[in-house]
Amino acid sequence: MQFLVKFESKSNRVKGLAFHPTRPLLAASLHNGNIQLWNYRMGVLVDRLDEHDGPVRGVNFHPSRPLLLTGGDDYKVKVWDIRPQSRRCMFTLHGHLDYVRTVQFHHEMPWIVSSSDDQTIRIWNSTSRNCIAILTGHSHYVMSAWFHPKEDLIVSASMDQTVRVWDISGLRRNTPNSAVGTFDTFDTFSTVKYVLEGHDRGVNFAIFHPTLPLIVSAADDRQIKLWRMSETKAWEVDSCRGHFNNVSSALFHPRHELIISAGEDKTVRVWDMGKRTAVQIFRREHDRFWVLAAHPDHTLYAAGHDNGLIVFKLERERPAFAIHMDNIYYIRDKYVRQHDLNTGNDVGVLSVRKLGNQYIPPRTLSFNPAERAVVVQTTSDNGIYDIARLGRETSNDLPDSSTDGKRGTANSVVWVARNRFAALNKATQIIEIRDLSNNIMKTFKSPVQANDIFYGGTSSVLIATSTNIVLFDVQQQKVLAELVTNPVKYVVWSPDSQTVALLSKHAITLANKTLTQSTSVHETIRIKSGAWDDSGVFLYSTLNHIKYCLPHGDKGVIKTLDEPVYLTRVKGKNVHCLDRSAKPRTIVIDPTEYRFKLALLNKNYDEVLRIIQTSNLVGQSIISYLQQKGFPEIALHFVQEKSVRFDLAIECGNLEVALETAAAIDKPECWNRLAQQALELGNHSVAEKAYQRTKDFDKLSFLYLATGSTDKLSKMQKIAESRGDPMSKFHNALYSGDVLGRISVLRECGLHPLAYLTASTNGLDDLAAEILEAAGLTDADLEDVQKFEQSTLRPPPIVTQTGKLNWPTIAGTENFFEKGLLNGNGHIEGDEGAPYVNGVDGGAALDEWAQEGAEDLEVEDEAWDLEAGADEEEFYVAEEEAVAEEEEAAAGAKPGPSETELWVRNSPFAADHVAAGSFDSAMQLLNRQVGVVNFEPLKPIFLAIYRSSHVYLSANASLPPLHLHLRRSITDSTPSKVLPVSYRTLPAVKAELQEGYRAVSAAKLADAETVFRSVLYSLLFVTVSSDEEAKEWRELITTAREYLLAVSLELERRRIVQEEPENVKRSLELAAYFTQCKLQPPHVTIALRSAILVFGKANNHAAAAKFARRLIEFNPDSKIVAKARQAISAGDRNPRNAVEIDFDEFTPFDICAASYTPIYQGTPSLTCPYTGATYQLMYKGHLDPLTKLTEIGAPSSGLPAPR
Amino acid sequence: MDSGDLYHVKQQFVLGAYKSLAGAPLPSPSSEDYNSILQYHARALISLGEADKALSILPAEDASLSLKAVRALAGYTKGDENETHLEQLRDLCVEVEDAEESEQQVVKVLAATAFVQEGEIEEALETLGAGTPHENLEATSLIVQIYLSINRVDLAKKEFERAKHWAEDDLLLQQIEATLGLVSGRDSYSNPQSFFAEQMLNPSLSSSHLLTSRGVTYLLRGELIEANSDFEEALKVDANAETLAAAVVAAGLTKGKQSESDALFERLQAEYPGHPLVLDLKSKSDAFDSALSQFTVPALA
Repeated sequence: MQFLVKFESKSNRVKGLAFHPTRPLLAASLHNGNIQLWNYRMGVLVDRLDEHDGPVRGVNFHPSRPLLLTGGDDYKVKVWDIRPQSRRCMFTLHGHLDYVRTVQFHHEMPWIVSSSDDQTIRIWNSTSRNCIAILTGHSHYVMSAWFHPKEDLIVSASMDQTVRVWDISGLRRNTPNSAVGTFDTFDTFSTVKYVLEGHDRGVNFAIFHPTLPLIVSAADDRQIKLWRMSETKAWEVDSCRGHFNNVSSALFHPRHELIISAGEDKTVRVWDMGKRTAVQIFRREHDRFWVLAAHPDHTLYAAGHDNGLIVFKLERERPAFAIHMDNIYYIRDKYVRQHDLNTGNDVGVLSVRKLGNQYIPPRTLSFNPAERAVVVQTTSDNGIYDIARLGRETSNDLPDSSTDGKRGTANSVVWVARNRFAALNKATQIIEIRDLSNNIMKTFKSPVQANDIFYGGTSSVLIATSTNIVLFDVQQQKVLAELVTNPVKYVVWSPDSQTVALLSKHAITLANKTLTQSTSVHETIRIKSGAWDDSGVFLYSTLNHIKYCLPHGDKGVIKTLDEPVYLTRVKGKNVHCLDRSAKPRTIVIDPTEYRFKLALLNKNYDEVLRIIQTSNLVGQSIISYLQQKGFPEIALHFVQEKSVRFDLAIECGNLEVALETAAAIDKPECWNRLAQQALELGNHSVAEKAYQRTKDFDKLSFLYLATGSTDKLSKMQKIAESRGDPMSKFHNALYSGDVLGRISVLRECGLHPLAYLTASTNGLDDLAAEILEAAGLTDADLEDVQKFEQSTLRPPPIVTQTGKLNWPTIAGTENFFEKGLLNGNGHIEGDEGAPYVNGVDGGAALDEWAQEGAEDLEVEDEAWDLEAGADEEEFYVAEEEAVAEEEEAAAGAKPGPSETELWVRNSPFAADHVAAGSFDSAMQLLNRQVGVVNFEPLKPIFLAIYRSSHVYLSANASLPPLHLHLRRSITDSTPSKVLPVSYRTLPAVKAELQEGYRAVSAAKLADAETVFRSVLYSLLFVTVSSDEEAKEWRELITTAREYLLAVSLELERRRIVQEEPENVKRSLELAAYFTQCKLQPPHVTIALRSAILVFGKANNHAAAAKFARRLIEFNPDSKIVAKARQAISAGDRNPRNAVEIDFDEFTPFDICAASYTPIYQGTPSLTCPYTGATYQLMYKGHLDPLTKLTEIGAPSSGLPAPR
Repeated sequence: MDSGDLYHVKQQFVLGAYKSLAGAPLPSPSSEDYNSILQYHARALISLGEADKALSILPAEDASLSLKAVRALAGYTKGDENETHLEQLRDLCVEVEDAEESEQQVVKVLAATAFVQEGEIEEALETLGAGTPHENLEATSLIVQIYLSINRVDLAKKEFERAKHWAEDDLLLQQIEATLGLVSGRDSYSNPQSFFAEQMLNPSLSSSHLLTSRGVTYLLRGELIEANSDFEEALKVDANAETLAAAVVAAGLTKGKQSESDALFERLQAEYPGHPLVLDLKSKSDAFDSALSQFTVPALA
C-alpha cells in the first residue's frame, strides 16, 4: 500500500470535499467561506464561489447534472450552476436553524439531504425547492447524513454518540404535502429504523458501504466502528483502534476490504476490514485532517486538512506487463496472465499472490521467451522479486511464484539475456547479474546513480538516473552511450529493436538503439504508456488522450480517452491496451492521419497518393500541415474554398488552378497576384489574361512589347484609340515603332513642336512641312531651333518569339501527384492492400479528385488527337501554342514522344513493351500477369521481337537513317491507338504446335520437348484482340502444357529404364501417368500402346489388359487391335499384377510436374501461374520445371483484357 | 532551270543512287555546271563512306565556298579532327552570308549535316533556318528529317507544307512527302508506296536504295512476301547495310524465316558493326541483362 499524492493545494482549512463524478474536478469548501473548484489533473483552480457567510462544511456534486450543493454556517443550503458560462447560485434553501454540516444530492430522485447542528436532518425537493421532510430524533448536533447508494435509507452521525439509520421509503410512496410549515405531516414519512449505540463520544461521520450492508462510523472516542445490518436489525461488528485523537472521517474502499480514515492526529490510516488492524499509516507533520472524500468510480481519494487538501491514490493502477510477439503477459489481481492478441484467449499462467503485501500489486514484469520465465518485482518489503517459470496454459493448478520460484530483493529487475537477469539495489547501487536459479553470476556497482534499470539489448541495460539514461554493457562493464533525458520511467523498444522510446513523466524521447540520435516531445499532462506501430510511429497514451509521435517529433492526437489506458501493442488500426483494472481492451483508431504524415515524411509519395485517394482525409489541420511542410500542391487537393485554393495554387505555382479560382473569385487583387506569379514563372499568357481582366492597359502593352507580340500591340493601339486615351495611344505607337501614329497623337493633342521634331528626325520631311504649315509657321521661324540627328529609336528587334511560347516549367512533385491521379484509377484501385487507413467514405474531396483526374485525362486525349502526341505536361503547352499560332516553331523544338513510348502507353501486353524496347516494364508485366521470374530463356525472343519491330531507312545523304516503326494495323495512325507489329500470332503458334505433334508421332521426344516449351514461350508474346482469341490462347497453353508434361514423363521413364533398370515400379508408374495426359487421340494411343508393352513385360497383365481395353475404344487400325486383344487375353489368363504401383485410375488426379507423382482430387496443390500445371505443396516458391520460367504458386493477374 | 546533266545528277543524288552517281564520269572542268556536279559527286562519295575518294576529286585550292564546305564535311566524316572541321563549317556559314543564294544553301545544308552527325540538333535547325521563310528545299528535307527524328511529325509537316508553296512539284519535295508518310503512317503508307513504285519505273536511273525503300514500305504495310522479295533483289545488286538491316526485320517476321533472319543479322553485325540496328540491339541486350537482376530466380523444383 502506498500513499501516492497526485495533487496538493495550500489554502485555508478545508472542511468539505467532493469529487465530480465524470470530470477531473474536485470541490473543496473552506473554513473562510470560499468554495474552490480544482482541476486536480491539470493542477489548476478552475473556479471560486464565495457567497456563503462563514465556514462552509458541506459540499456535493450532482451525479449527472452540472450542479453543486453547499451548506454553510450561515444556515443556508445553496445550489449552484457550475457551467463556466453560467456560473451562479441558482437558489438557496432556507430552513435550518444552525450550522449545516453535510449536504448530498440523491442519486436518482430530485432530493437533497442536509444535516445540521439544529439536531435535524432535512430532505428537500430540489425541483420545487421545498423542504419535504425533517428527520428529528438526534439530541445533539447532526454531524453527517448520507443517502444509501441504492435503498431508501439515510445514515446519520451525531454528537449524541449515536448513529441512526432512517427509513425514508414513505417519502417515495406518497407525494407529501408541500405546504411549508405543516411539520406534523412529515413524521409519517420517515422513521428511525435503527439507533446504533456504541461510541462513547460524539460521532463525526457515518456512511454506508457502496455494496454491502455495512456502515462505518468515526468518532471523537478515537475509534472507527464497523456496523452490520440486516432487514430487521443492526449491530456493531468491531472497532478499529489506533488513532490517538478524534477521527474526523472514515470511508470504505470500493474494491478491497479496506477502510480509510483520517483524523485530528494528523494521520490518514488504512485498515483491514477483516482483521480490523491498521495496514498503513500516513502521517503529516502539522495538518489535522478534517474530511475525506472518495471518487465514485476511480480509486482516488481526497483529504482536507488545516492548510489545504491532498488528492491521493493508494495503489499504482498501472498493471505490470510485458509483450512478446502477439502475447501480452500481465498481472491482474496478483496473477500473471497470458493474453493472446489474435485469439483473445486469456489465461492465468502464474500466481504471484504471495509476493509482498497483499494490497500492493507488483510493479514490473519482465518476460523471458526462451525459458518462458518471468521476474516479477514489487515495491513491497522495500523491493523484492520472484523469478519463476510460467505454467502451461492447459494445466489446471497454477504454479505459485513463492513455492515454484525463487525470491530475491531488488528495486528493479530485468532480463538481459536468455539465462541472465539484472537486479538493481537502489540503496547500495549494486547491480547483480543472476541466472535462472537466482544464483549471482556477477556483481558490480552501477556506474551512475541509478533510479531504475531497463532492457538495453542483449546483455545490456539502460540505467536511468535523474538527469540522463546510460546504455551499459554488462559483459564488458562499459558505458556504451549516454543521453540526457528527464527521469525515465518506462522504456519501450520497437518491434525491430532498432529504436527505443524513453518515457518520462512529461516527455518522450525517441532514440535509436545506440542512443546516438534522438528527438523529444513534451506533454503538459502525464504520459502513461506507449507502443510502436508497425510502421515506426510511436503511439502513446496520456491521462486523457492517445497520441502519436512521428520519428522526427511531429505529434498529434488520435483519440480522446475517458480514462487512462496502458498501451501494449499497436497492430494496424487496433490499439491493444490494458485498462486501470488490468483488463485487456482493444481500441480501434484511425491511423490515416499519421500514416499520411509518415508517408510524406518518408517521401513515399505513392503511399501519400494512395491514402489521399482511398481515405477520407480532410480538415484544416491537414491543410496547414501540408502547407507548413512545403507541400502546398498536395494541400490544394483538399481545399474547396475558393480563396484558400487560390492562395495555395499561387504558392505552389499551379497557374492552371490559380487561373480557374481567380476567375471564380474575380477580384482585382487576385488578378494582380496571379499576374505577378505568372510573370515570375514566365507564363505570360496567364499574366496577359489577368491584365485583361483588370483592364490594366499599360501593363498589357508593356507585356506585349516585352514578349514581342507586335500584332497584339497594334490591337492595343486601336483599343487606346477607341478609349480616347492619347497617352496610351502614344505608348502603344512608341512600342510598336509606329512613327506616324506617334506623330498623329502628338498633333491631335496640339503638341505641334514635338510632332514636327518627331517627323523631321524620322526623315518624314513632307509630313514635317505639313505640320509646320498647320502650325502656321515657316522654316524661317525654326532657324534658332536646335537641329537634331536622325532618330535611331526603334522598337527592339524580336529575337525570340516569346509571345508564341511560354517558358517551360520544370515538372515538380505536383506532376507526380497529377500523374498518379491519372493512372490512379488503374493501378491503385487494383492494389487492395491499402493498410489501415480509413475507408472510402465517398468524401467530397475524393469525388472532386476523381473528377479532376477525369478532366485531366480528357485534356490529354484532346492533345493527342490534335497532335502527333505529347508526353510531358510542359509539352502540351508548347504544342497548343504551336497550333494556336499559325507559325513555325523555333529551332529549339523539344522532342515529342517517340513511337515506342506510345506503344508502351497504349498496351498492357508484354509483347508490345518488348517491341518498344521497354524490357523492364515488359518483365514487370510478365511477372505480374503470369508470374515469370526467370527471364534468361526469353532473351532471344525479347531481342528478336525488338529487332523485328523497327526498320531503318536513310532519307538524306550522310545523315543517320530514320528509325521507322512497324505497326500492327496500318489503318490506325492516331498516336493513342498505335501498337507494334505482332511478332507472334496465334496461327503461327498453332503451326509450331503441329510441328510438336509431328515430333511426338515420330518419337523424337527431346525435339518435342523443345518445341512445346518454345510454344509456351511464344504464347507469352501473343497479343489477343478478342475474347475468342483469349480463349484460344488459353487452350493452346493448356494443350502445350499437357504435351510438355507427357513428353517429360516419357523422357523420365526412358531415363529410368536406362539408368535404373531395377526400378520397374517407377517405370510402370510413369508409363501409367503418361496415358492420363490429355493428348490428341493418336498420341493417347501411343501412350497406351507403350503402357501395354511395359506392363506386359513386367507381368502386370491385369493392368495391361485395362490399358488395352482403353486402346480399343479409340478404334485404332486392325494390327493394333489384334495386339490389344492379345494383351486382354493375357490379362484374362493371368489377372494379377506382379508389381504394385501408385496408380489409382478410379480417382481423378493431376500429375505433379516436378516429382511426377499423382495429386488426387481434393488434395491441396499449387499451380504454375502461367500454364496452370499442378505441383505438390512442397514446391512452393520453386522454379517451374516445365517452362523454367515461373515461380510455382506465385500470385498472378492473368492475361490483360483483349484489345 | 538546271541543265540536263545537272538535273540528272541531282535526281540520282536525291533518290539515293549514290553508286551510279559516283561511278559516272565528271564533265569537263570547263563546263559551267562543273562545280555543282563535282559537289554532288563528292557528296555521293561521302555518303557511301568514301570520304578519301571525295577529297581526292575535290580541287586542293577551293574554287568556291561550297566546295570548301564539301571538303570540310568529307574531313569530318573521315573522323579525324572533328572539331577543326566543325569550326571550319561554322566559319563558312558566317562567310557565306554575303555570297549568292545557291552557294549559301549548299554550305548550310552541308554544315547542318555535320551538326546533326555531331548531335547538335538545335544548331543544325538554326543553321538550316527552321521556322524561317527560307526557300532551300534541301534544307527543308533535312529539317523534316530532324523533326521526324525527334518525333515532331507536326512540325515536320508544317515545314513541308510551307515548302509546297514555293517548291512546286520538285522531286525532292515528293521524296520529303514520302518520308513524312513513312513515319506518320498516314493513309496506310499509300503516299510513299506510290512514290517509290513510280520512281522504280523511272528508266533513267536504277538504285538499290529505291528498291530497299519500296521494300521498307511493303514491310511497314505488313506485306512481308513483297518486302522479302524486294530485299532479296536489292541484296543481289548491292548488299549495303541498309538493305541488310531491313532484310533482317522482314525475315524475322516471316514464318519459317527466323533462322535466315539471324544469319542476316550476323552478317550485318560482321560487315557493318556501326549500323544503328547493331548498336541498338547491343544496348538492348545489355538492358535485358541489367533488368534481369530485378528478379531472383528460385531453385528448380
